[in-house]
Amino acid sequence: MDLEHYQRIALYGFLVAMAFGAIANRTHFCTMGAISDWVNMGSRTRFRVWLLAMGIAIIGTQSLFLSGRVDLGGTIYHGTAFSWFGYLLGGFLFGIGMTIGSGCGQRTLVRVGSGNLKSLVLLLVLAVTAYMTLRGLLALLRLEITGPTTIDLAERGFASQGFGELIGTATGVSPTVIGIVLTVLVGGGILFYALWDRRVRTEFDNLLAGIGVGLVIVAAWYITGVLGYDDFEPTPVEGVSFINPVGNTLTFLMTYTGSTISFGVVLVLGTIAGSFLYSLLTGTLRTEVFNDRSDLVNHLYGGVLMGFGGVLSLGCTIGQGITGMSTLAPGSVLALLSIIAGAVVTMKMQYFLYDGKGWWHAVKCTAADLIPSK
Amino acid sequence: MTTPDQELDARNLNCPLPILRAKKALNGMEAGRVLKIMATDPGSVKDFAAFANQTGNELLESSEVGSEFHFLLRKS
Repeated sequence: MDLEHYQRIALYGFLVAMAFGAIANRTHFCTMGAISDWVNMGSRTRFRVWLLAMGIAIIGTQSLFLSGRVDLGGTIYHGTAFSWFGYLLGGFLFGIGMTIGSGCGQRTLVRVGSGNLKSLVLLLVLAVTAYMTLRGLLALLRLEITGPTTIDLAERGFASQGFGELIGTATGVSPTVIGIVLTVLVGGGILFYALWDRRVRTEFDNLLAGIGVGLVIVAAWYITGVLGYDDFEPTPVEGVSFINPVGNTLTFLMTYTGSTISFGVVLVLGTIAGSFLYSLLTGTLRTEVFNDRSDLVNHLYGGVLMGFGGVLSLGCTIGQGITGMSTLAPGSVLALLSIIAGAVVTMKMQYFLYDGKGWWHAVKCTAADLIPSK
Repeated sequence: MTTPDQELDARNLNCPLPILRAKKALNGMEAGRVLKIMATDPGSVKDFAAFANQTGNELLESSEVGSEFHFLLRKS
């Protein structure tokens, strides 16, 4: 069978996403879980595994970028419209959503693949909300939020918002040199911190999750940026991300006969398929349905908050947290820190709400717990 | 078989709530006492193993009973 150029790229993307889905299913790779282990148990191992993926993604992606093989300049992460408030608010809402929805976009796809029908409902709500925020009614609200708070970096003489370009242009040093220094310091530093934990270095599943996910992120850049490059029919350079693509997957499935498959859509479908195959082969496929009223309500809120917040901040725990970070962009740092902050605050609130003394008590205790007393 | 001193119904709760509530319950217990947790989230099996490992509270038992997961934790 002869495949068109774009179909070949889509096929590669699907296979890489399948590996992602299978690895994440096997190793319980979960950003919210990593934050929960840290906040609720004092264990940073899962967070370090997550950082291992980030460190590998930074070094791999920057190697492709700085050697001129993948042009990150046209990606959403290096855009010159710097919407700082969108990153902060969107990330925070996303962090709340993934905590009450029991996992982020990526985790939800993996759960759908393993037979969780609660996650399927969340995914549908997330998809509709994300698309509404991108192109529909909620886009008006999004523009009201980002419009007045966007800084135009191009107007200030910067070609992109990459840290290399920003620091290089401001200091007069070559952005490539700055990029190399940052990659070694930041990427290397993160890898060092992640591998410092003996359990990260020695346990197979931890290594598989960290290295596997990191390589998947790099592979996606390689597929769209190098293999996808074509003089007549170039593929848009795109990394692994899940919120926007989940919205696009829904419209793709509904308008199939008039649509062309895109890289984001195959990532979504491939991740579900990989997780499904893993569950099937290991006998862990298990149908899960809503237990009670609050279970449904939490999943619906989770989907709405992640759909809106994820589009507003231009990405999720993977899209901004690992892929965006791999491009070394300040917007990704803001979005990631806000996602973590939203999750931590929500976990603390859940903890103190369980006292049964109402919201005000929980807010006070959360504030007291998070703000240092000195 | 150890008899639990206190029980925690974490059925129908999703990650991270079972861990969060177990932590809260253990906070109010004396050292040596045993907490029994009943949960339905399959992820809780791995979570409680990690929780015990990290916090030093001993996981005396982790079992699957029908469609539920039961855990016995001894407060350290």
